Amino acid sequence: MKLKLLNLIYSTRFRLIASLLVVSLLIGTLSLIVGGNMLYSSVLTETRTRVREDLNVAKLLYDERIDAIRMVLEIIADTSEFKQALASGNYLYLDKQIQNFSGRVGLNFAGIINDNNESYGRLNQQVVGQVTQAVMNPLVVRAFTEVRSIAGTFVMDEQSLRYENPELLIKAQIATSENLPAQKDLKSAVAQGLAVGAAVPVRLDGKVIGAVYGGVLLNGDTSFVDQVGETVFRNEVYKGRNVGTSTIFLNAQRISTNVMNRNGERALGTYASSEVTRQVLDEGKLWTDRAQVLSDWYISAYEPIMDIFDTRVGMLYVGTLEDKYLDVRKQAIVLFALITLAGIVFSFVLGWYVTGIIMKPVNGLLQASVAISNGNFSPDIGPPSKCDMGLLQEQFKIMTEALQEREKRQKEESESVLIQSEKHASVGKLAAGVAHEINNPLTAVLTFTHLILRRQDLAAEVRDDLETIASQTERVRKIVKSLLDFSRQSRLDPQPMDLNLELAKSVKLLSNQSLIKGVELSFNGATGLPMFSLDRNLCQSVWINMIMNALDATQPGDKIEVSTQQVISDDKNGAEIIIRDTGSGIEPEILDKLFDPFFTTKDVGKGTGLGLAVSAGIIERHEGNIRVTSTLEEGTCFTIWLPAIRLLGDHCSYPTKYLRRGA
Amino acid sequence: MKVLIVDDDTIVVESCRRILHAEGIVTQHAGTVEEAKAVLETEVFSAMITDIKMPKQDGFKLISWVKKHRPEMSVLMMTGYLTPDTQNTGLNSGADAFIAKPFTPDELLEQLYNHITCKF
Ligand SMILES: Nc1ncnc2c1ncn2[C@@H]1O[C@H](COP(=O)(O)OP(=O)(O)OP(=O)(O)O)[C@@H](O)[C@H]1O
Ligand SMILES: [Mg+2]
Repeated sequence: MKLKLLNLIYSTRFRLIASLLVVSLLIGTLSLIVGGNMLYSSVLTETRTRVREDLNVAKLLYDERIDAIRMVLEIIADTSEFKQALASGNYLYLDKQIQNFSGRVGLNFAGIINDNNESYGRLNQQVVGQVTQAVMNPLVVRAFTEVRSIAGTFVMDEQSLRYENPELLIKAQIATSENLPAQKDLKSAVAQGLAVGAAVPVRLDGKVIGAVYGGVLLNGDTSFVDQVGETVFRNEVYKGRNVGTSTIFLNAQRISTNVMNRNGERALGTYASSEVTRQVLDEGKLWTDRAQVLSDWYISAYEPIMDIFDTRVGMLYVGTLEDKYLDVRKQAIVLFALITLAGIVFSFVLGWYVTGIIMKPVNGLLQASVAISNGNFSPDIGPPSKCDMGLLQEQFKIMTEALQEREKRQKEESESVLIQSEKHASVGKLAAGVAHEINNPLTAVLTFTHLILRRQDLAAEVRDDLETIASQTERVRKIVKSLLDFSRQSRLDPQPMDLNLELAKSVKLLSNQSLIKGVELSFNGATGLPMFSLDRNLCQSVWINMIMNALDATQPGDKIEVSTQQVISDDKNGAEIIIRDTGSGIEPEILDKLFDPFFTTKDVGKGTGLGLAVSAGIIERHEGNIRVTSTLEEGTCFTIWLPAIRLLGDHCSYPTKYLRRGA
Repeated sequence: MKVLIVDDDTIVVESCRRILHAEGIVTQHAGTVEEAKAVLETEVFSAMITDIKMPKQDGFKLISWVKKHRPEMSVLMMTGYLTPDTQNTGLNSGADAFIAKPFTPDELLEQLYNHITCKF
């Protein structure tokens, strides 16, 4: 089981698939990280600029609100009826006017004061005489001193709130939320109010006779923040929460907001985070970043609200829910992850398919090689592949064919070697037995023939006949001698010797004969041959016979080349003796009979047919072998392989190996 | 000059006898090693021609015996097939010369004279 798994892991298919997977995973993760973050950060920057713009719009709306109050008051103050009423103390008219314009612009408080700081009317309140400095509206104070319309934000303390309308005091009292009470200097804010409004001096004949003022308490006011929510964010809701939120802070406390707390109520009385407070309220800078608003994160923008004395009295805030953008990122990541997953699945399938295609011929070859090792030399290697695997298949096919060929040849050879050695053995025994018995009668024949021939009184005819007997007996003697040579199984008498030297001697011995015949006999010994341990006489008889055979097969003008060459065969060091002639060549049919005893094509009396048979025996006993190649009409080449002296190892003997190869 | 011929095949003995007689050499013969030893006990020869392959005891035994008891006598070894092996064994036993069967009269005489005359 474990092995199987290991095999799978090390298989080409697995590796290919794994690398494909790794690549797709890498690309996927990279694009996931880079893409996700890029998308998110671009959305974030985009959103930040948008939120800043939204803040500008909110601020504009805020200023517009103030302007609207101022304009209405200016219009009222400019009418001659109003001026006359103020100059003549027509309270009724003035009160009507206050009701009128307060209703038009939605003022929480309003009033008219003459140049002696005497009240001439208040919204929904009794007219009181002298207005004390403590409750005097700061706008009015400035309007009198600067003799112009003053509009803007201002802080109202408990006293002035109560003075304007006791209900306002109640409205301004916003329960301090239990959370975030960290800012120490904010305690006083509880009973204070933030208001916007305007004061316009009333002039009659170039002289300021009084001022009309009015304003809106922002504490608990919903109209402004809802207007921002409506115009800027179109009241978009995401997961039950407002996407766009806006808040007005008095100092750091929310006094007007559409941020909802957990209970779905407006989160009044809660505080801004300390970082925001520090940067915006303390340092007077803009804030555009993520900010925690209650429990949620918003991409938010804050700016300070300045009162008419240019002090920072609060903050204006707008923000969009970050969740919406986080979810965008989440979605993007999920999308990327899905794409990556799809890529992985795809590459797995692709890898499986592609490796299947690639591995199919390889598997075919694999199975084929298994078949070959089991002895089947014509295995099925599958359909030819079109890619370079096809080349491999082709080569494999060639290899199997070569193997088949070799197998066939080896089989034939080993068969013939068997037959050959059987032949040798039986012929040897026979020859040894017979030869010995023949020699004795032959001795008598030779002796008596010669003794008779010594006589001087023989008729010429008789002498001729006797001489024939003598010469034919000589022939018999030679045959018997060859037979005995062939069957001889005596020990070798090996001596260390220089192969080239021995060959040179033999060639020289035969050079006269070749000269007479007109055949060019040459010897070319390779340098660097190792030393050999050979039976000098026997070996010489081997190559002398071969050169003689070559001489017999050649015509005048032909060539016989004897050469040596160093060879490493079967990891044994040795040399080859090559005897090559340009003679008649050997017919392919008789090629495998050459080494048979008594096989000859020569005329009766010229050859016994034992030369090569004996030679093969001798070379065999030196643990060498003989090969023949021949082409009819072109020539023959005998190659004798002999092992060099071995320093180590046993001297086992091998069955005779004649390696025949027709051309 | 007197020569002892030892061979189990009478035709060989006869051949040798005829060749030597023609040269005027006296011959004596034996068919086995035992016989030869018996003859050698009583007579003295200048040389002995002996076959190797004989029934019962072979020629090498005879040659060794001769070298011990008749060291002055020359020995010509005669064999059907002269291999280096037999040659070596013969030399070790004490043979002076070798000849392979079959041979011509001249060949036999040449061997005999070459190796034996020096001993006279
Ligand atoms: N170089 C050669 N060219 C052509 N034929 C050859 C050559 N060598 C050998 N043969 C053939 O092989 C046969 C066998 O050769 P081998 O040496 O065994 O016997 P032989 O030469 O006929 O007789 P012997 O060598 O016993 O006198 C020869 O008769 C000849 O037909
Ligand atoms: Mg030959």
